[in-house]
Amino acid sequence: MEFVSPEGLRLDGRRPTEMRQLRAEIGNVAKADGSAVFEMGNTKVIAAVYGPREVQNKSQQMSDQALVRCEYSMANFSTGDRMRKPKGDRRSTEISLVIRQTMEACILTHLMPRSQIDIFVQVLQADGGTRSACINAATLALQDAGIPMRDIVTSCSAGYLNSTPLLDLNYVEDSAGGPDVTVDKVIYVDFALNGRVKASVLWDLWLYFGSYGLKET
Amino acid sequence: MGLPNASEDLSSEMEVDAFRRLFPLRYFERHLAESIRPDARPLSRARDTTISMGAVASADGSALAKIGSTTMLAAIKMEVMTPSLESPDEGCVSIDFHMPPICSPLVRPGRPAEAAPVVAKQLSDTISSSGMINLKELSLVGGKAAWMVYLDIYCLDADGALFDAALLSAVAAFSNLQIPTVSLDDGKIVMLPEEQKEENSEKEPVNKEKRKLTLGGIPFSLTCILHKNYILADPTSEEESIMETLVTVVLDSSNQLVSLYKPGGAVLAYTSAVQDCIALTRQRVKELHQILEEAISGMEID
Repeated sequence: MEFVSPEGLRLDGRRPTEMRQLRAEIGNVAKADGSAVFEMGNTKVIAAVYGPREVQNKSQQMSDQALVRCEYSMANFSTGDRMRKPKGDRRSTEISLVIRQTMEACILTHLMPRSQIDIFVQVLQADGGTRSACINAATLALQDAGIPMRDIVTSCSAGYLNSTPLLDLNYVEDSAGGPDVTVDKVIYVDFALNGRVKASVLWDLWLYFGSYGLKET
Repeated sequence: MGLPNASEDLSSEMEVDAFRRLFPLRYFERHLAESIRPDARPLSRARDTTISMGAVASADGSALAKIGSTTMLAAIKMEVMTPSLESPDEGCVSIDFHMPPICSPLVRPGRPAEAAPVVAKQLSDTISSSGMINLKELSLVGGKAAWMVYLDIYCLDADGALFDAALLSAVAAFSNLQIPTVSLDDGKIVMLPEEQKEENSEKEPVNKEKRKLTLGGIPFSLTCILHKNYILADPTSEEESIMETLVTVVLDSSNQLVSLYKPGGAVLAYTSAVQDCIALTRQRVKELHQILEEAISGMEID
């Protein structure tokens, strides 16, 4: 199947280095300490942050830093076919772990010992790049909650189809089976990388495109 | 915490927020004595309500309903199934209500909220007994194929009156529903994507005309709190947690009673209190009906 036409346009008319339209809103959930909605094209994600608050499970309390918890779940109607098991499956658990580790690296946890920060992310519409949209939404929600962080974390995905590196994959491109990578970058400091990399020769190309996308985000 | 006098003395010296947290009942009663509530609403007024249709583009029908801060997102997905043997020419509606941890600080991940299954059951019972959906309309090929309608409602912010907002979002989602076109392909029902309109020579859609459900009596509801001899319409979560006696009345658009729900509570309601609740609901039904009509006509203009 052709993902990039001979003129260089993708299935949805974008150029290979073009991102989808981004939209963000904060403060949607009145009950939460911080919340944000982040849209990347058709992918729509809502994040809510509760904390710092008292640790619910005293055995997990840490005396020198805050405990960060994250839960990722997808709404039943978020994908094309209705999902039977929106959370608790392997993919959701893995993404929850990734988001937690990313945010934990950026939050100044030593400033809030013996407390807990909960990050909940709910995917309302999924069209590829949910991982990135979740990290972006979580960052905004943490900022809205006023939790001290080292810097803003941004995230973007990139892939390689039809011998062309592509930025910000949608669902069709993501399921095509080519390699893809999600790059999360904290400006100035460091970056965390996660993804399956098939050919190390193309590593630099992806990194370049990933960073390019992050500048836009 | 001592004699009633102690709190009276403290109240003149304490900050309002502290008084609200330490003596919540007295705080509210002070307001109720002046026939007003902390958010400046009169006792019988509900919060600002908005409906926005088509909130989820990938669903067959969806709506976002907000009553004050309480936000509910309802979305409908339809699938084809074989009908059961007892009712071969009827489809099926399955309603699921979720309270993800984002909606409230009291909901913990891993443990479903207490209110979730209660509201889910109430919704299921109300929608099936109100006769809003005619299950026979969901049949495609008698005895062989019928629609299974999955309605999923997600609470995105829980600030009291969960059932009212959930019912409103469900009703709005059904009004927004566009049944997908299907056709018979060698005896099997196949979903047709919207774009394939020109190449339709073999694949004639089975239900080209019937794309919208005809809705029967649409149910609307109002939850009220009873406290001593006050009736408060449309409580916030703070009010619900302090004064625990709730009465939910569901009326349909012709003002007939669909359901009356009073799950215990410290206050025992006399007939007059119940009648007052029903009268408040009747007023609210008119408001909600108008809001729903405006939302529907807003969509049709687009």
